[in-house]
Amino acid sequence: MFTRFEEYAATQMLGQPDSPPRSDGKLFFSEEWQRTVFGMALALSKQGHFEWVDFRQHLIASIAAWEQDACDGKARWDYYERYTMALIEVLEQCGVLEPGELERQMKPDEANK
Amino acid sequence: MAALFEYDENREAASAAKVRALEALLIKKGVLGSDAVDAVLSHFESVAGPFNGARIVARAWLDSAYKRRLLEDTPKAIAELNFPGMNGAEGEHMKAVANSETVHNLVICTQCSCYPWPVLGLPPYWYKDPVFRARGVREPRAVLRELGVPIPAEKEVKVWDSSAQIRWFVIPERPANSEQLNEAQLAALVTPEAMMGVALVPSPQAI
Repeated sequence: MFTRFEEYAATQMLGQPDSPPRSDGKLFFSEEWQRTVFGMALALSKQGHFEWVDFRQHLIASIAAWEQDACDGKARWDYYERYTMALIEVLEQCGVLEPGELERQMKPDEANK
Repeated sequence: MAALFEYDENREAASAAKVRALEALLIKKGVLGSDAVDAVLSHFESVAGPFNGARIVARAWLDSAYKRRLLEDTPKAIAELNFPGMNGAEGEHMKAVANSETVHNLVICTQCSCYPWPVLGLPPYWYKDPVFRARGVREPRAVLRELGVPIPAEKEVKVWDSSAQIRWFVIPERPANSEQLNEAQLAALVTPEAMMGVALVPSPQAI
């Protein structure tokens, strides 16, 4: 049906638990890092590093984990924080990243935040 | 509950730092090109999106012969505008319908992949809600009233069900007091919702 990976990938999410924020027909990013992480996942899957459906399974599981947290002390909702976690997980699973590699690359003070 | 949605600057900064580090690491490892993010997102930001539909509508408002061609053979009339993203299969089966003094058109979608992306962009979150789709068929006037578009009883409401075969979009009515606007200014008034028939295009004086 879709000849463009970008449209296939976004359409798979629409109406589903991992549907991305959007406004006026466009993807909605309130911060530049959100745009970056969304684009990275798309670009890496398009290149064939992982199947889009595999990334989405991590994302849906990450969202479900947030929803199942107890209300007391629950972290605020942040779609792109969940998205970032899912992307790191799928990159570790497919071997692009070694487990913990990102944390080791980050400066200790940032990694411990 | 409200605390769940409060802005947390530290967490925001931590997420931003993590994503920046991830991007830098992937570029360093040769996995990600430095322009890969912009390249993939350009599809949504400048190739296929509601900005194309808005231009088509503005042209149809200004040029009645173009509007006629658009209603008769939508893909051919769209091709006249030479949009870069309109070569894929997504745009092939589009069909425009025009609102008028006597008819209001509403487009719904009962399947999942039948939205005319190249002209409307990403659908709003409620568009694929089965309740919206079912009520749009059964009681379109009630749905439109709830969306802030009450349709007078004497005006006909037509409901178009998009499918993989035909992807409908609406040419809304040109708003009052827009005679002095050029094509780009008119296009700026047109929203995706107006091209789905769930909103009207506001008069420029109302903005």
